[in-house]
Amino acid sequence: MLTSVQTPGSPEAARAALQAGAVPLGGGTSLMARLNDRAGGDLRLVSLRRAGLSGIDVQGDTVAIGAATTLADIEDDARLSYLSGCVRSIASPPVRSLATVAGNLFVPQPYGDLAAALLALDAELDVLGADGARREPLERVVTDGLRAGDLVTRVRFAAPAEDTFRFHKASRRRLNSGSIVTVAARITIEDGLVADIRLALGGLARRVMRAAGAERVLLGAPLNAEVVARAAEADVIEPFDDAYASAWYRARVYPVHLRRALLGA
Amino acid sequence: MPSTIVTIELNGTDRELIARPSTTLLSALRETFGLMGAKRGCAQGGCGSCTVLLDGRPVVSCLIPVVTVDGSAVETIEGLADGERLDDVQQAFVDHFATQCGFCTPGMIMSATALLNRKPDPTRQDVTEAICGNVCRCTGYEPIITAVLAAAERRRGDPAVPTPTVPTPTVPTPTVPARPAPTEAEV
Repeated sequence: MLTSVQTPGSPEAARAALQAGAVPLGGGTSLMARLNDRAGGDLRLVSLRRAGLSGIDVQGDTVAIGAATTLADIEDDARLSYLSGCVRSIASPPVRSLATVAGNLFVPQPYGDLAAALLALDAELDVLGADGARREPLERVVTDGLRAGDLVTRVRFAAPAEDTFRFHKASRRRLNSGSIVTVAARITIEDGLVADIRLALGGLARRVMRAAGAERVLLGAPLNAEVVARAAEADVIEPFDDAYASAWYRARVYPVHLRRALLGA
Repeated sequence: MPSTIVTIELNGTDRELIARPSTTLLSALRETFGLMGAKRGCAQGGCGSCTVLLDGRPVVSCLIPVVTVDGSAVETIEGLADGERLDDVQQAFVDHFATQCGFCTPGMIMSATALLNRKPDPTRQDVTEAICGNVCRCTGYEPIITAVLAAAERRRGDPAVPTPTVPTPTVPTPTVPARPAPTEAEV
């Protein structure tokens, strides 16, 4: 049962509430749906809506997005147009008006497509903890999680150079569907060879994951179907069964969607 | 935690309510203010039948603790019509047969309204994307998309918009075939 919902007016006040055992509420699109679905024990929430954590700041190539910024705000920002395809593939407009950037980092799979995109962009998180502010690579946070009471305040990354960011999502329906396989990549080709590659996957493990094995196969190699097929064999994936697809199907179609993401066909 | 006094601007008028922590915006609309337009469907944000506008954005009101939106502006389907005069989107839904059982209609119209407020000249694809979170089990969506496009044209004051004329149903006089004489076996 929901015993309290606090709406603190600053990140520090929000963190103090988390430290006291409250659970963070971003847009509520995952948490509130669960609370509506089943009765549970007493629960205290701290809403981040008024905590001063919204906003998008772009200085040159450096992008900083407040943790409680909504997906709709990202969708509307022309400076972040490379994320538009990713964001519009997530849920529906009435959900994206609520769902937040930081919420997407922690939502269970097969959701969290923006997290995959941000992992490919090598994002870092500003985290407010008991010891003050610190910065954490997103990759470490999606792997290990945060300490109890930690509050993500901002996501930072370098904007990708033009035409270097790829996002591809296979889903049951073209709109408003969880992921079967999600591929996000930052890739640079020089002289016909892959000069830089950072690859993140959704739908293929319990959390979004970096495909470090595929990156090693691709780096320095020509970008063609044969190399991409080998890259798709290079990581240990642990796909799962859900209403969207079976684990078998996800594993079976991953090479196809990696190829479509990187080669466009 | 005690209940809290929450103020929202509801369809243009400031309204107060006493809310428990678990009171959602949808519950407040239906149970406190008696506005039954927004529907409780899935309570998961998946069906869109509870869609209202929050500070101009379409939102699924079932997922919002109302205490978190204190001071916000909320628009519901009840705020669209001017007395007995339907607004353009509502009228287009009537004209184009875009509603059947009606359960999804308020949410569908609020999603469409949000789209037209931001994009007065949407493409068919824009409409499809705007209503992708609103489930309709009756219409097959095509009449809804047509209605939203027609409402957009009407809002723009496009004189080329034909107001569909509803054909007067002609009820044919049923002709009952004469019952054949019973055969010997039936007798």
